[in-house]
Amino acid sequence: MKVAIIAANGGMFDAYKVFNIATAAAATDAEVGIFFTFEGLNLIHKEGHKQLPMPEGTEHFQEGFQRANVPPVEELVSMASEMNVKMIACQMTMDVMSLEKEHLVEGIDVGGAASFLNFASDANITLTF
Amino acid sequence: MEVTVNKVVDAKGLACPMPIVKTKKEIDTLDPGMVMEIQATDKGSTTDIKAWAENTGHQYLGSTEDGDVFKHYLRKASAEEEKAETTHQDITSLDALSKKVEGEEKVTVIDVREPAEYAFGHIPGAVNIPLDELENRFDELEKNDEIHVICRTGNRSDLAAQKMAGKGFSKVKNVVPGMKDWSGPTAQTN
Repeated sequence: MKVAIIAANGGMFDAYKVFNIATAAAATDAEVGIFFTFEGLNLIHKEGHKQLPMPEGTEHFQEGFQRANVPPVEELVSMASEMNVKMIACQMTMDVMSLEKEHLVEGIDVGGAASFLNFASDANITLTF
Repeated sequence: MEVTVNKVVDAKGLACPMPIVKTKKEIDTLDPGMVMEIQATDKGSTTDIKAWAENTGHQYLGSTEDGDVFKHYLRKASAEEEKAETTHQDITSLDALSKKVEGEEKVTVIDVREPAEYAFGHIPGAVNIPLDELENRFDELEKNDEIHVICRTGNRSDLAAQKMAGKGFSKVKNVVPGMKDWSGPTAQTN
């Protein structure tokens, strides 16, 4: 099984959608690739991914996250990396946002749309968040 | 239910996808054929573990619930087992065994799967002697009885039947293919 994911949004909920599916797929022996573009780059920004915003008016869910013992986003990111999830940061958006590879967590590839398309061309599942 | 397992994984208190991630990590440390118990409190874990097993090819045995804690049982896949090896010549079909089980006469059925597999569904009256315990339990069996040996696919029961024949058991029949295709009545031990 091969899973290709586009992460285009930078909120905390978006992080969980992306990394829960990605790590579950990797644990199911799937080959997983995520393309981070536009605000999605927040999810792999060294500092940014530790304090992602929650959608306005949902702050009260914070308690629920703790109660349900949901792992912090950084833990999911390092788990994904440990399970060989391929993470590609979009070069074009990085240029627009003046981001350098050093600003991102370890183990990220930088590439363009063609890199993602190449990975996704024979994927069984393609998702956009 | 008390069954022997090779590994207990504690995923209690963890939310999705952690039980699956932990299961994956731990199953990589087991040998094929070994049985794992995963303890979880995540209510979605029953359907998740089952789906995970289906995708990865491991064998999902079943789940039990004990208060808030779910216990899921998995057996690590073994490639050789899927080939129906039948070195032991005397074989019998599931249909033939089914007729005997329904009949009046006493039938001896030895189920050589792991205790956890047996616990989640076996032929009523079958005695569980896991393959790796067989050598030490020959004296529980009668040499001149007609003995039906069964497992999941016919592979472990073939090895068991060969061992028994070597020990002088004269009427040992390997039931093929095995419990995976058994449609007759089953019993559970809980």
